[in-house]
Amino acid sequence: MKTRHFPLNRKPSDRSCGSTEHTLHRRLFLQGAMAAGVASTGSFSGLFSVPALADVAKKSGKKCILLWLCGAPSQFETWDPKPGTETGGPFQAIETNLPGVKISSLMPQCATIMDKLAVIRSMKTEPGEHFQGIDVLTRGDQPRPPFTRPILGSVIAQQLGQLDSPVPQFVLLDPCPEGNEFKQFKAGNWAGWLGAEYGPIRAGGNYSIPNINRLDEISQVDHADREALRKFLSSKFENDQRSEAAASHNAAFNRVNGLMSCAPLFDLKQLPEKDRQRYGGGAFAQHALQARHLIENGSTFVMVANGMPWDNHVFQHEMHQMLVPELDNVLYQLVSDLEDRGMLQDTLVIAMGEFGRTPWLNEARGRDHYPKAWSLAMAGGGIRGGVVHGATDPLGFEVVEGQVDNRNLFATIFEALGVDPHQEYDLPGLPTFYRVEEDAQPIREILV
Amino acid sequence: MEKIELKRTKKFDLPSGVLAVAVSKDATQAVVGCLHGVYQLNLETGEHERLYQHDSYVSSVAWLGEQKIVTAGYDGEVCWFDLAKNSRIQRQKVHEFWSWDMTLSPDQTRLASVTGQYIAGGYKYEPQAEKEPSIRILSAETGELLWSLTHVPPVQAVAISPDSKFVAAGNLMGEVRIYDLDDGTLVAQWTTPDFTSWGIIKSHCYLGGIFSMEFAPDGEHLLLAGMGPMRDPMAGNGKQLWQRWGWRDKQPAMIDQTHAGEAGEGLMETIAVRSDTSHFLMGGRLRGGEWNAALFDHESGQRVASLKTGYRMTEAVYLGDGKRVLLAGLKSQPKKSKQGKFGDFGRVEIYSF
Repeated sequence: MKTRHFPLNRKPSDRSCGSTEHTLHRRLFLQGAMAAGVASTGSFSGLFSVPALADVAKKSGKKCILLWLCGAPSQFETWDPKPGTETGGPFQAIETNLPGVKISSLMPQCATIMDKLAVIRSMKTEPGEHFQGIDVLTRGDQPRPPFTRPILGSVIAQQLGQLDSPVPQFVLLDPCPEGNEFKQFKAGNWAGWLGAEYGPIRAGGNYSIPNINRLDEISQVDHADREALRKFLSSKFENDQRSEAAASHNAAFNRVNGLMSCAPLFDLKQLPEKDRQRYGGGAFAQHALQARHLIENGSTFVMVANGMPWDNHVFQHEMHQMLVPELDNVLYQLVSDLEDRGMLQDTLVIAMGEFGRTPWLNEARGRDHYPKAWSLAMAGGGIRGGVVHGATDPLGFEVVEGQVDNRNLFATIFEALGVDPHQEYDLPGLPTFYRVEEDAQPIREILV
Repeated sequence: MEKIELKRTKKFDLPSGVLAVAVSKDATQAVVGCLHGVYQLNLETGEHERLYQHDSYVSSVAWLGEQKIVTAGYDGEVCWFDLAKNSRIQRQKVHEFWSWDMTLSPDQTRLASVTGQYIAGGYKYEPQAEKEPSIRILSAETGELLWSLTHVPPVQAVAISPDSKFVAAGNLMGEVRIYDLDDGTLVAQWTTPDFTSWGIIKSHCYLGGIFSMEFAPDGEHLLLAGMGPMRDPMAGNGKQLWQRWGWRDKQPAMIDQTHAGEAGEGLMETIAVRSDTSHFLMGGRLRGGEWNAALFDHESGQRVASLKTGYRMTEAVYLGDGKRVLLAGLKSQPKKSKQGKFGDFGRVEIYSF
């Protein structure tokens, strides 16, 4: 039986799960941030130099890092190799630390942590074009115009985010300004019916967040005084006039003010050099490291992308020889770091694209789009490691066991994060929506 | 400029896509390197037989005398095979990564194979420095390692000069290095950025590079083939591009390149020079335009003939007296298999001038 839950349009203060861990006193937070601002010119670790703040940030419940492999990676060159067959491509398969389980030879590091990963080899979805595929695999379902289903990051930020945190709860790190269909998608409505406040803060590469650094000519004290005055006047106006516009303006200002206080989090150069080298030099790897830092410091959902480099209709193997090892290292470092920090249990890491790639090679030495049988991987945050779910036939044409679609996948993700997958959105006069439609069930096998 | 007509005289289908072909001295037999094995092909009848398989795609083939062949593959191995005995003579791991390309010196004493994996080194995906020597020079007879030479990976094309004294190798970034095969010294080095794409859209990384190279018969010039830069490196729509470089001078200089208005779009994967230097042939994939194989006058660089083969061309070999040319490549792999078997998608053709 499904449970009818709260409507979507309730007040922001009602939207968190209710845990006191999600509520942080703004003054305390800003005091901490300001104190840290002085101390953190060399390292943003100073941002949470006030122990109480650091503790709150770290205890704040489940989080998620989505390594968004836009363009769609090949399952043959990652999680479901078919070496020696007509469709297998040029790369071999290697043993992993799970007896009997092999993955692509391009992933030697992940082979050593397969006991921490859950791999789904039986994804079968509908859309075969990028835009529609991205839509379904980031929102969980097909569009029902004119209603826009919120993207996964917006849902998680709304459900699990710390509303009073100055650190953005949903961050998109993507340095590539254009990605064809992904560009169109990025220009669209991310948060859907949740409202723009749950959309992502975008950063990465040239997408540094503008105007979040305090001007040199304004001292820290002067800045604080100005903020106090602004706050007093705008609150008075908001109260006197009962103005929603003023409230909205204040919310926006607070968001920017919060961003100013955590500007160092967005500066790649302030990440420890040793860590930067360990993750690898490429933009995707660097931003994956940045994602870890953001999660450590209070973000709830970070999506890491790099345009849509996986769409290898041309040069499939020439591109995958570079992209897969980078993913291999990033996933290994991320999972290992989160485990070392005691955060893996509460941080879900997902590595997936919008579909897979064809078993056959096209004339341009590429693989084309293939939603009928593809793979992805997850770790941590409520997911059981050491499980390979589902299977494809020997040439990788069809799913033959444990079929999973986008709804099952999203039910699994929500369940793992402690979010009710089947919540009903009861909007007067509008069709009924569910967080996951059709009562689709999660993959129990990979849930803790 | 007199136009040349190319007329197809033979056409053979092979079970697997063709990446490399070498033809016997009498032009009656070919050994064919495919995605899924090494084949021997009778060029008169079209009869073919699979001889053996590497552990991955077969990237290069060469005749060693009249009865032996040498092949290299994406498994990083070089294999010697005796056709008369139908048996493998030797199998040798030469690289940790692929052998992208392999060639024998004209005097048949030395073998050069090039390798290298593209691993992201910097924020813009500049290639990392090599983890293993990118160029290996072996004794063609015994497989003994003669030289390990450095380059920046991935090194995708290799050629040996007609006098068998120099080896040239070109990479993803358009860098060419030429080494003296007698003492292993670097004698020329330059970079042409015209073959390399950095993705302005879709993906910020490098793609393309030099895919084929050949010395002119006089040894003075080096011909390079590939594709011009693209905004979207995954589009495959760069200009069909060759360049001719004089490499003997202290500062190597480009002498000529694909003339304006004579090229369409697509990656060029093979370039072959006729021994009398009257013309050379470049071929590859047709992405946009009118041809995917064309003859160019060696002296003027003008296009004198062109073809649309209908498949991606990976190899061109002048036969015998140079009055015929063998072209080979692959079509799309069939989308359906019958009981695990795909239809033929490799192609070998012979054209006469």
